[in-house]
Amino acid sequence: MYRYDQFDARIVQERVAQFRGQVARRLSGELLEDEFKPLRLQNGVYLQLHAYMLRIAIPYGQLSPVQLRRLAEIARDYDRGFGHFTTRQNIQFNWVALKDIPDVLDKLAEVEMHAIQTSGNCIRNTTTDHFAGAAQDEVLDPRAWCEIIRQWSTFHPEFAFLPRKFKIAVTAAEHDRAAIRVHDVGLHIRQKDGQVGFEVHVGGGQGRTPHIAALVNPFVPEAQILDYLEAIMRVYNRYGRRDNKYKARIKILVSELGEAEYIRQVEEEFAAQRPGEKIDLPASEVARIHAYFAPPALAARPALSKTLEAAKAADPAFARWTRANLHPHKVAGYASVTVSLKPLGVAPGDATDAQMMLVADLGEKYGYGDIRVSHAQNLILPHVALDDLPAVYAALDAAGLGAANESRITDMIVCPGLDYCNLANARSIPVALAVQKVFADPAYEEDIGKLHINVSGCINACGHHHVGHIGILGVDKKGEEFYQILLGGRADEKAALGEIVGPGLKADDVPAAIHRVVEFYRAERTSPAEKFIDTLERLGHARFQEALYAAG
Amino acid sequence: MSSVRPKLKPETPKAVTGWATATGLSVWLTADGAWTEDASGLGVFTGDEAEARLAAALKQEGVVTDPYFMEVTADGKITGRETLRESMRAEPALSFGGGA
Repeated sequence: MYRYDQFDARIVQERVAQFRGQVARRLSGELLEDEFKPLRLQNGVYLQLHAYMLRIAIPYGQLSPVQLRRLAEIARDYDRGFGHFTTRQNIQFNWVALKDIPDVLDKLAEVEMHAIQTSGNCIRNTTTDHFAGAAQDEVLDPRAWCEIIRQWSTFHPEFAFLPRKFKIAVTAAEHDRAAIRVHDVGLHIRQKDGQVGFEVHVGGGQGRTPHIAALVNPFVPEAQILDYLEAIMRVYNRYGRRDNKYKARIKILVSELGEAEYIRQVEEEFAAQRPGEKIDLPASEVARIHAYFAPPALAARPALSKTLEAAKAADPAFARWTRANLHPHKVAGYASVTVSLKPLGVAPGDATDAQMMLVADLGEKYGYGDIRVSHAQNLILPHVALDDLPAVYAALDAAGLGAANESRITDMIVCPGLDYCNLANARSIPVALAVQKVFADPAYEEDIGKLHINVSGCINACGHHHVGHIGILGVDKKGEEFYQILLGGRADEKAALGEIVGPGLKADDVPAAIHRVVEFYRAERTSPAEKFIDTLERLGHARFQEALYAAG
Repeated sequence: MSSVRPKLKPETPKAVTGWATATGLSVWLTADGAWTEDASGLGVFTGDEAEARLAAALKQEGVVTDPYFMEVTADGKITGRETLRESMRAEPALSFGGGA
């Protein structure tokens, strides 16, 4: 993984020292909240419903065991013993006192972490495929390019005060696990005639006005990608709406201009860049960054593990876990493991300090020191030998992390909702947990197969309800929580926005309604191999809608 | 920090609430002018006294952040349009960190 050089380390340390002074002045009353707010936001500090929330950047979702242990220590010493992993592959602490945050940032800096640009109208943490470097279907490891984009976008003076926040996602795999088409910019790394380049999508996003991104350029050669991104950003920075925050995202600009005109303007801006203005990104520098992401030295192993097969035969629960939570590795004899942070009854994406310590230990002992956060709010051990899977599962299961539900119906993306968030209109976590209970039987859940439910507590869509196969959106009607159900969304390479199918439901009615929809799917699927989303797309929404609102 | 806060009439009973600047925890102004993290101890104010209490709170930047009026009944129960949000602040429904 990337390691800080002396400049990185100094910049982060100086930033912490600067913020320490700002916090001291805030606590003395010298700085008013209105003055302090933009400063704290630039350091990832929000003021939420119950307390300050500190959002820490995890670049492209990669952590070392040392870093994860440090996060566990912060959870233990400064929070209430847990942290919350987010859809931006970051982590949030919900109970850190402002007076302690400079100390927390110092501890993060010691392990090459920070909270810079995790908030505010700037370019946020670049996200990517959580199986990057291990996936069979990638053309190359995208993390090096994520790192290059991180370095380009961090403290970029021209893009520090954009009209709104800006999110970039990168994938290099055919199957899009990074949801690139619902990002401000989505980059798909491709190879053409032996050359590496980027398929560029712009103007995707969720929130109150969801859009699927427009394909702006099918192939930008790698040497030109930063210049091309600058052209995209400049058109946005110049013409993005600053008069109305609800119309300030780049998706609105692309929509209002029209795709063709937006593309024309980007190409014009790109062509107008003078030679001296071009970013000089030498091939040697690209190679240097790529070297940080060299694959681990995986020992040769047989493709079939007798140890694994024997353990599966002996333990049905372990066998079920291997069917759900393993992803094929590009090297025979290994697998990528999803550590589900969606056990029944726990806020989705939460992990205790002890659980973080355990995953750090497992990553060190069995995972070549590589740990990832997925945008679906789980942890990943990307490189685990098949022979080691029984030991990994046993340790995880003993710590409450043995849920066999990756991409299954109980593996929901869920925003914090009104239990934590100042912007939310309704609670997300309780309704998600109530739905989980309906599908608590592991055999039943396995029979249902892949099905994504995403839950948001307001129209800002932090729980990605627009792109859930089933989306649940909490709304407030005269002080009472209601939940609108959406059907048909997906965040992958066939990205689509779900449609609200009818009037909102009371919280107590949501689990039964979801159950009816799932039962309708099971009755109508051509075979268990036909996924929920495929049946839905084959039959159309109307009949599922009938099932949803059938008298329960 | 709620995006839209209802305007309350002078005669409407109200409490003053905000966040402790140092910790960020929710706090409510008591009848005797102290700040408490226990909403059951909030003071109920109306009219000019309420305005004076809020004005004084707004000057305590290092102590309390973003103080504002919340609607309550005469005996201090949360009521009004923001009942759901304010009830969540006063009495969280989740056992944080321990599941729900």
